[in-house]
Amino acid sequence: MSAAAPRPGETLLSVDGISLAFGGVKALTDVSFDVRKGEIRAIIGPNGAGKSSMLNCINGFYQPQQGRITYRGVERRQMRPHEAAEQGIARTFQNIALFRGMSTLDNIMTGRLLRMKVPFFWQVWRHGPAMREEIEHRRFVEGIIEFLEIEHIRKTPVGRLPYGLQKRVELGRALAMEPELLLLDEPMAGMNLEEKEDMCRFILDVVRQYGTTIALIEHDMGVVMDLSDRVVVLDYGRKIADGTPAEVKADRRVIDAYLGVGH
Amino acid sequence: MLYNVFVDPFVQMADMPDLLVQVLWEGTVAGVLYALIALGFVLIFKASGVFNFAQGIMVVFAALTLVGLHENGVPALLALVLTVGVMYALAWSIERVVLRPLVNQPDIILFMATFGITYLIIGLGEFIFGGRPKAMITSELFLPRGAIDVQMLGGRVTFQKLDIAAAVIAGLMVAALAVFFQRTRIGRALRAVADSHKAALSVGISLNQIWVVVWFTAGLVALVTGIMWGARSDVSFGLQIIALKALPVLILGGFTSVPGAIVGGLIIGVGEKVGEFYWGPLVGSGIESWLAYLIALAFLLFRPQGLFGDKIIERI
Repeated sequence: MSAAAPRPGETLLSVDGISLAFGGVKALTDVSFDVRKGEIRAIIGPNGAGKSSMLNCINGFYQPQQGRITYRGVERRQMRPHEAAEQGIARTFQNIALFRGMSTLDNIMTGRLLRMKVPFFWQVWRHGPAMREEIEHRRFVEGIIEFLEIEHIRKTPVGRLPYGLQKRVELGRALAMEPELLLLDEPMAGMNLEEKEDMCRFILDVVRQYGTTIALIEHDMGVVMDLSDRVVVLDYGRKIADGTPAEVKADRRVIDAYLGVGH
Repeated sequence: MLYNVFVDPFVQMADMPDLLVQVLWEGTVAGVLYALIALGFVLIFKASGVFNFAQGIMVVFAALTLVGLHENGVPALLALVLTVGVMYALAWSIERVVLRPLVNQPDIILFMATFGITYLIIGLGEFIFGGRPKAMITSELFLPRGAIDVQMLGGRVTFQKLDIAAAVIAGLMVAALAVFFQRTRIGRALRAVADSHKAALSVGISLNQIWVVVWFTAGLVALVTGIMWGARSDVSFGLQIIALKALPVLILGGFTSVPGAIVGGLIIGVGEKVGEFYWGPLVGSGIESWLAYLIALAFLLFRPQGLFGDKIIERI
């Protein structure tokens, strides 16, 4: 839980010349950008710009045909999603992906699975080291539940929760992994103003308390401009701008892409 | 007529309670074995959302491998260990060759793939072991033979020792599986995978590992089922028909519930035997073969999720 003091400037993840195609459809073409430690990095762009594809490449759901992804200074070619998770990359999904049959608590506990190291034998008897480990993880998860203010739905099956709370549980599960890099795919989609403000607060607090680096996709421009340190803009699978919110907002190509102005 | 249907059978039951106990016991034993088969289906259905048509043939294949190895001079216990190894190899190859390339395909595609697996295993089994029925090696595996007669309720009730052993072994296996899935890391991961593949991957669960574990477990269940069924009849390809009996059990218990498979199996087993013995004569007997499906049909009408299944509510 100790917050490693964020040292912005050091590169955590760098994406270099990524191209991804599904058959003849080019989702991403030669995209490069980097994410620095402790910053909030937004990826924006119109629908179908390739934002989610970009996140899927980073966490190993998709394997780009070209380009390099360097994480923590190590370049990787092929990486499976569970390997990405082991290296500290957690994520949430655009269309919520929770374990519907489980309670809020159990959902968040799954985020601790990778950290459960006690051998099989002890777990079967639920005794000794296994019990201690379980208690330790439960304590951590309770911390997250408190942090996200979802104590009252601890035991509720998530399928029954309203949309906004489900999104919060999903964030909780990702946080339980104590990720170094957190990928958020439209964390505020479909929320009302109040829920959005809560979520913004949580995201800022995550960075402050846990020292997590965040890359997020978001459509709400107000939110993006307020939250993020730097913004990369995609359109039709290509990068069209990269910089601080103010720089991006003033960029001619970005305005064109969003307003659909022809030349 | 009404007297014959609603009163007479119960009068008979009350008249000869020892006979009733005997019928109930026979039903329980059959039910335990149905439950075992259904359990194999539930395991795979939970983890991959696939109705594994090949479960029945896996039972036959496991039993054939065991007997076949023994016929070729391998000591019985070593043959058992080797068969476990073979079931692991089978699980591993199915994951590698069938499941992995078909990941994220619609469920119906995977279901069809299990048909393919079924016929592949039938061919493989006949090619290696031949098509003749074989006798299960019961005494070599230290399974008891003979029967115990108990004087009770003014009569004599016979318990086959083999049946007692089957019930005990099945009980132990179910308990072991329950502990495994409730308490271990892999068990938790399995429950997660059952709900959402995408989310499971994102928290660092390896789908490939889980699938191998699940298919291997289903293979072990198939092996135990094969030994027990094989000991009561013979080991032949005809045995795979019993897989069809798992369907009503699953409809009764719910496709996703381990306790459901057990309770469903017992209800079907006991229901069949009692129905056959007391009501069968009214229609010239032989109702054992279809009564289970009738019960299942009734459940589909009134409680389609089964006794213990998840009621799925879709938001639209």
